[in-house]
Amino acid sequence: MNPLESLRLAWRSIRGHRLRSALTTLGIVIGIAAVIAFVTLGASLQAGVIGDISPDDQRNLYGWAAEPNTEGGPLAGAQPVFTQDDLDAVEDREDIDAAYGYATLQTQAISNGEETVAQGSGLIASGPSYIREERIAEGRQFEMGAREAVLNPAAANQFEENVSVGENLTVTMLGGQRMDVEVVGITDNSEGLSPFEGFESSPRVYVPTNPYYTEQASMLGIGGGGGGGAGNQSLAGGEARFLAIIIEAESADQTDIDAARESATDYLESDAADASELLDDDLEVQLQTSTELLGQLQDVLNLLQNFIVGIAAISLLVGSIGIANIMLVSVTERTREIGIMKAVGAQNRDVLGLFLTESVILGVIGAILGTGLGLVGGYLGAQYIDLPLVYPLEYVALAIIVGMVVGILAGLYPAWRAARTDPIDALRYE
Amino acid sequence: MASSGTAVSLSNVRKTYRIGEPVHALDGVSLEVPRGSYTAIMGPSGSGKSTLMNLVGCLDTPTEGTVVVGGQDVGTLGDRERTRLRGTEVGFVFQTFNLMPRLNAVENVALPQLFQGVGRAERLERARDLLERVGLGDRTDHMPNELSGGQRQRVALARALVNDPAIVLADEPSGNLDTDTEADILDLFDEFHAGGTTMLVVTHERHVAERADRIVHLLDGRIERIEELNGASGSQPGTPAGQEPGGSDE
Repeated sequence: MNPLESLRLAWRSIRGHRLRSALTTLGIVIGIAAVIAFVTLGASLQAGVIGDISPDDQRNLYGWAAEPNTEGGPLAGAQPVFTQDDLDAVEDREDIDAAYGYATLQTQAISNGEETVAQGSGLIASGPSYIREERIAEGRQFEMGAREAVLNPAAANQFEENVSVGENLTVTMLGGQRMDVEVVGITDNSEGLSPFEGFESSPRVYVPTNPYYTEQASMLGIGGGGGGGAGNQSLAGGEARFLAIIIEAESADQTDIDAARESATDYLESDAADASELLDDDLEVQLQTSTELLGQLQDVLNLLQNFIVGIAAISLLVGSIGIANIMLVSVTERTREIGIMKAVGAQNRDVLGLFLTESVILGVIGAILGTGLGLVGGYLGAQYIDLPLVYPLEYVALAIIVGMVVGILAGLYPAWRAARTDPIDALRYE
Repeated sequence: MASSGTAVSLSNVRKTYRIGEPVHALDGVSLEVPRGSYTAIMGPSGSGKSTLMNLVGCLDTPTEGTVVVGGQDVGTLGDRERTRLRGTEVGFVFQTFNLMPRLNAVENVALPQLFQGVGRAERLERARDLLERVGLGDRTDHMPNELSGGQRQRVALARALVNDPAIVLADEPSGNLDTDTEADILDLFDEFHAGGTTMLVVTHERHVAERADRIVHLLDGRIERIEELNGASGSQPGTPAGQEPGGSDE
């Protein structure tokens, strides 16, 4: 029998049982929709994050000390071990352009004269070159040791009268103490500058680690090693230790980056470094570029995605069992029709083809609806999290193929049962 | 089809079912059905009528003996060839009509040709033509459940004829019809018979059987007697043959 005719007849019987067919495909719809939605979100998230990394951040190595093989992205399991002396020494080494600490200082509010706005996201303390010259729209970078700050536009514009270069702000820290900063620069956009702060747009105030972090750290007692005892020890030493550091290689070339990484790690793990006191078997210096960090994030994403795909696979399995079950019911229900068809000359393969076509149609319809639903879900999700939408089109093709395969597998046994029905018994069947 | 004078021939056919004790549903039956003839088969339940139908309809194969349909020995054919032979040489008319419920009248009539690979347009044209001839030219697009019993049986008859078969097998064709409708259907049978179609009707109603040229009486799997109608005397004397000679058109 012509495949087109099988299609026509199969479609006829699917339409004859609309509700049943719809419910049958539901399992497939849910499975495929889940996969498509999450794959879309994953691709969008990835595109969003990669799109945010500016090329000039490519030569930065982001570092922290943590147990080897700790998963969970930047700063996972990090301990404060690095001193300013370490960083100064690293900065002096070959292959390294700059080395500075990175920290977020918790704040309550920022005041511009009479006007005070809440600032929960804190101050970002780092080295001057953390904000590249090209990113400065107005003014200049802050200087180390000075009470200066660079604002991003979102931070500058949150006051009724926009803050401009040269003005003074008062920052109220979490502990209640007030610090004065002079605004010396404003950046060109409000997106984050590194994976440490995240890449989303939000108001940010950048300040030098010295004096802001140093003062805060000694006040709060930050700078210890793993436990409280170690913390007291380093406090006794009187020097603030950094949880996070940034080391700039000479260029974004992989060879320069590797050289910088090696040079910095060598020093930090040598006895000459303060950090080495606290680095033991459990802690290791991790230095990674944004791209490498993203790779880690990618691993986490992949893990999540595999998990979802696993659940979806179960849904598909349940869905295909549903199709198989309904097809078996349908074969029994239509025994007489099978008998009629065989009596008027239908070959076994015609009957087989007819039922197989029917289950493949169910599978493919499920896949198409699931894909549509998944794309809509992915779109809404991407809108909600504010990500650029990227549709993984190869998955759409894959979904249709999966639908077909599920239909074939689920329909094979019922169709075979239908094909070998004895027409004499079938015609007698009530 | 016109190559032979015999549409169906059975010689020494035996059909044995083994359900515990062997049961001889047919026990040495020989019968010739000439082309263009009209034969009725009568007999009580269990006499072997259904088995005979299944054999002539190429739905089953004999345990012993030969069944030849349209010039081919059914017993020697594989399942696929037997199905093809059934599709092209046999047309079925059932007591319960057996139309496909989700196909309309014209599609039902065209169904056998679908399995012969005839193109859709050609199929539907032929089916419409046949529906016209059975008097349902205005009902071609109706679904079976929108048709009366008599109309359904007309559709079934048209379907049986669509492949121009060697023989039309009708199993109690008027069993589910009221008297008037029954007469209409039987008249239609007569009409097609007059046009050259070979008819084999299984029935237990005397007045239905009397439309035929002859009546084959089955009993316990054997041919008890063959009764010739149309004035010709039966094979056994004393049979009230031709009681209603006008029952047949010929």
